[in-house]
Amino acid sequence: MSRVGAAGPGTLFAWDDGVLVKATVTRCALSRVCGACGGSLARPVAFVGTAEEVGRNAFHAPPLHTACAEDVRRLLDPTWETVLTGGFEFVRPAKHDEDRRPTFVPNSLL
Amino acid sequence: MAIADVKEYCHLTPEEVEQIGAELDAIRAEIEESRGDKDAAYINRVITTQRWMAAAARIGMIVSSPMDKKVRGPVLAASTISLGLAKILENMEIGHNVMHGQWDWMNDPEIHSSTWEWDTGQPAEQWKHSHNYIHHQFTNVLGYDNDIGYGVLRMAREQKWHPVNLGQPLYNALLAGLFQWGVALHDLDLEAIRKGKKDPKEMKRQLKQIAKKGRNQILKDYVLYPALSGKQWKSTLKANATANFMRNVWSYLIIFCGHFPDGALHFTEDELEDETRAEWYLRQVLGTANFEGSRLLHVMSGSLGYQIEHHLFPDLPSNRYPEIAVKVRALCDKYDIPYTTGPLHQQYGQVLRVIHKLSLPNKMTSDDKPPTGVDITVEHGRRKAEERQQRRLELGGWSRSAS
Ligand SMILES: [Zn+2]
Repeated sequence: MSRVGAAGPGTLFAWDDGVLVKATVTRCALSRVCGACGGSLARPVAFVGTAEEVGRNAFHAPPLHTACAEDVRRLLDPTWETVLTGGFEFVRPAKHDEDRRPTFVPNSLL
Repeated sequence: MAIADVKEYCHLTPEEVEQIGAELDAIRAEIEESRGDKDAAYINRVITTQRWMAAAARIGMIVSSPMDKKVRGPVLAASTISLGLAKILENMEIGHNVMHGQWDWMNDPEIHSSTWEWDTGQPAEQWKHSHNYIHHQFTNVLGYDNDIGYGVLRMAREQKWHPVNLGQPLYNALLAGLFQWGVALHDLDLEAIRKGKKDPKEMKRQLKQIAKKGRNQILKDYVLYPALSGKQWKSTLKANATANFMRNVWSYLIIFCGHFPDGALHFTEDELEDETRAEWYLRQVLGTANFEGSRLLHVMSGSLGYQIEHHLFPDLPSNRYPEIAVKVRALCDKYDIPYTTGPLHQQYGQVLRVIHKLSLPNKMTSDDKPPTGVDITVEHGRRKAEERQQRRLELGGWSRSAS
């Protein structure tokens, strides 16, 4: 696993000033790299999100290393929760979706 | 042209496009819900078969080495073929599909997209970027998808002709024979390096990774296993080279049949950014071609005879593509969307015709594909999808440590 400890929000691969960059999120999803450090993902995969996102099992933030998930929560929002999964579905936004961001659906929660 | 301007698509109303998207979503949901033990048993069976084939081949080469020439010959030939087929299975039906994350839901520590390293020159990490992301996200988009000719061949009329292209038939033969090394260099993006656009740090990191992987592959097939055959090391070395050659030519053939037959369209970058899921689905159907064949042929092709279904659902288990294909084809018929397919020899015949025709300037040959648009010309190579990130790179915004 290749990762560098995230020192500040500016060092997060898929975020720009704390805001998700759509193109990078897609890149993380498909090339299966960590949204925080940009390195190849490991197993299990971690997702972070609000309690609501955990409840719906659909996340906006890209997949992360388990250690990187802690960095992201610390740097962006400590109230976020972390879930672990073996795999995930990447869901592109549909025309009728009000929120035009892709989502991640963990498919084998641990 | 943007997807919305494609003639094969123009007859659809926006509502119909969304309806198609919804029907494809339903196909996906059905597979996700029924994914389970039977599928897991399938991939485990394929992996076990592949490992036995490889082991039998390696053992055959070693134990036959002290034997009489009359016996050694046939054992060596059988071992060579078995190794070639094992490499094909490993790269195509196992490696390619595992790295797409098709089997991640099993949460198996071994059969997982993050841990699989395949038996070929390209490091898995670079494949997941150049193939899973660049090729699958920007499928057949000129200037983005580097699979359009692999940076070596001119495969679209919109790519500017250059006298160098006259040598295409030769480059094509070289690419086929040396395919694993062509793929190994794929993510480096030679075009960007030539233009001085490649980040030198990233290039160095990638080159190091390729050198390490390439060295291990060469050591295994050309030093270690030949050494185990003692005096007959030369025969084992030749057998391994033949097996690698078999795999190279086969994977080249299958991959080229996926996007270059006449029916597979090219696109321009317009509206790519705001493409909806339904539009993305349609671009995948229109830019891709299937081929027909037996179940065995499909397994040995990594299920890429179902290239259309693979592009629609790259992360659904490959053993489910045959049943998905029946539904996708019916959907295409219902909405009068082209579904490009044909026997393998016909599809490859069309690929060869494109390679030969496009070695010449456009005015000397006719077009066999629906046109991409009026007067569209692109430079060779890949427009960097990461260009948006470049700014942040320059600012030192993020860094990636070498593994
Ligand atoms: Zn990470």
